Amino acid sequence: MIATASGTRVATAREPRHVPGQPDMWFFVLFESLVFTSYFCVYLFNRARHETAFLQGQSHLILWLGVVDTIVLLTSSWAVACGVQHARAGRYQAARRDAILTAACGLVFLALKIVEWARLIHMGKTFTSSQFFQYYFFLTGIHCVHLLIGFIVLGVLVVQLSGEHRRSQVVVETCATYWHTVDFFWVLIFALLYVVR
Amino acid sequence: MTRRSWRSDPKRELWLAWYATVAFYSLYTVVFFVITRIQPPGKPWYSPVQVTEWFAGRHDGLLVGFALIFVLGGLSATALALITYSIRRMSVSRAFAYSYLILYAIAAVPGFLFICVAMTVGAMRPDRNPAVLRWLYDFGFLSFSGTMGVFLVGSLIWMTAILLDDNRVFPKWFGYLNLCNALTEVVVAPSWIFHGGVLAWNGTIAWWINVVVFGLYTGVFIFLLRQMILREDFGTGPLPDLGLGGPAGQVLAEAAS
Amino acid sequence: METTFNRRLFAVWLVLVGITLTYLWIDHAVGGGALPKTSSAVTVAAICLALVKVRIIMREFMEVRHAPRLLCHLTDLLVVVMAAALLGAYAAGRLVA
Repeated sequence: MIATASGTRVATAREPRHVPGQPDMWFFVLFESLVFTSYFCVYLFNRARHETAFLQGQSHLILWLGVVDTIVLLTSSWAVACGVQHARAGRYQAARRDAILTAACGLVFLALKIVEWARLIHMGKTFTSSQFFQYYFFLTGIHCVHLLIGFIVLGVLVVQLSGEHRRSQVVVETCATYWHTVDFFWVLIFALLYVVR
Repeated sequence: MTRRSWRSDPKRELWLAWYATVAFYSLYTVVFFVITRIQPPGKPWYSPVQVTEWFAGRHDGLLVGFALIFVLGGLSATALALITYSIRRMSVSRAFAYSYLILYAIAAVPGFLFICVAMTVGAMRPDRNPAVLRWLYDFGFLSFSGTMGVFLVGSLIWMTAILLDDNRVFPKWFGYLNLCNALTEVVVAPSWIFHGGVLAWNGTIAWWINVVVFGLYTGVFIFLLRQMILREDFGTGPLPDLGLGGPAGQVLAEAAS
Repeated sequence: METTFNRRLFAVWLVLVGITLTYLWIDHAVGGGALPKTSSAVTVAAICLALVKVRIIMREFMEVRHAPRLLCHLTDLLVVVMAAALLGAYAAGRLVA
């Protein structure tokens, strides 16, 4: 057990267990995960019924680009997780830097997504052109909406880490929890759209 | 809790509003799902002939059901007023309450009344030109499902108010549930483009999954409004707990100790 | 202790990236690219690997490891429910195809 200058204690295996962030945010994580799971189930059910058509549509996606997207978001998750650790230990400058790095990764992901969408639309693959692309644009689109909300959440995080009077470890952890959700939704979407055969 | 006669109960009006809210949502469910059977929605790909048959099969139900709505639909105002009251009770600016009230009051016209009018007009003269009937059908369903922008913003306002509130009028998890509800409004947006499939106005994703989320959300906020009235102390500070606290938070907080 | 934690997070990141790169190997192994073919094995593997990553993200990055047992169980239950639902939906679709 380590006591830092600010008096906060770093959690170890022997420390009392605590809920990371607001328990309320965990309600959101679980609920929204179930909603996304229902979307994925609809996709998989329909995909299994029209395998050839979906496969054809999928062949226009670039797998390694999806891999890069995933690695970028995993890195952003790593950054915000480090940020939470730093904030807990009182190293707010480092935490703030991590939060900004998280946002930067998010922006890179967004840019890659826009490039990918532009490429597909240029090839004539649009929201309405085939069943596969209906799901593709819907799932990546709704994920992007969550990502954009994530930028607002990261903004709250940076503000929390910037002003001395505002620092609440609970809010910091809550914001991080939301961002990780954006990451793991993408992990699932990537597997379902790019890899599943 | 001491019993008071309803005459001197200061919460009398709040309870009236709450019971009116329950009555409204019950009426809405029974009229839309049972009497008129316009929910689940008709299929967007129907030809004019099929649409004529659709109206014919629901003729009496449409006229009776929507007559009830036109007479009693004003009860929806009490639901809106009670939610606005709950936002006023919060520590946030009154601007949140007024914005919510205005937005939802406006949204009720295209998002609720238009379909009632369109379907009644369609049922009124069964011998109308099938192409016109299909126009009314499209107009009704699209205005009901498709006018989501106002509801979206309204949900976000309520969410923001809850998350910023220091008076603990609602648990924070309900604020996040507002976000989930707001996102269903985004999910229904593609129904303007698709005539069939999972994203059409009757689709598995745009309707069925959305209705589950909306139904849960409505049930939850009716329950939480009741909790608010029970806890109301007519002050301006934090609402006292009933001794139960927010359900999810309480369970998790207890498990943490 | 701080350094240990940071090393742990880095290790977790490496594992997650490694699993992600495995997808490339799977795709190559089934001859991905020009003429992709349907494959239940790939589908099931892809879903399972994704869920493994989700659980790792939850336990390590989201710190569920240090959370009360109720939250640990809830998140594990979520992963199980997702697995059952996703694989079930896929199987059901193949049955009615």
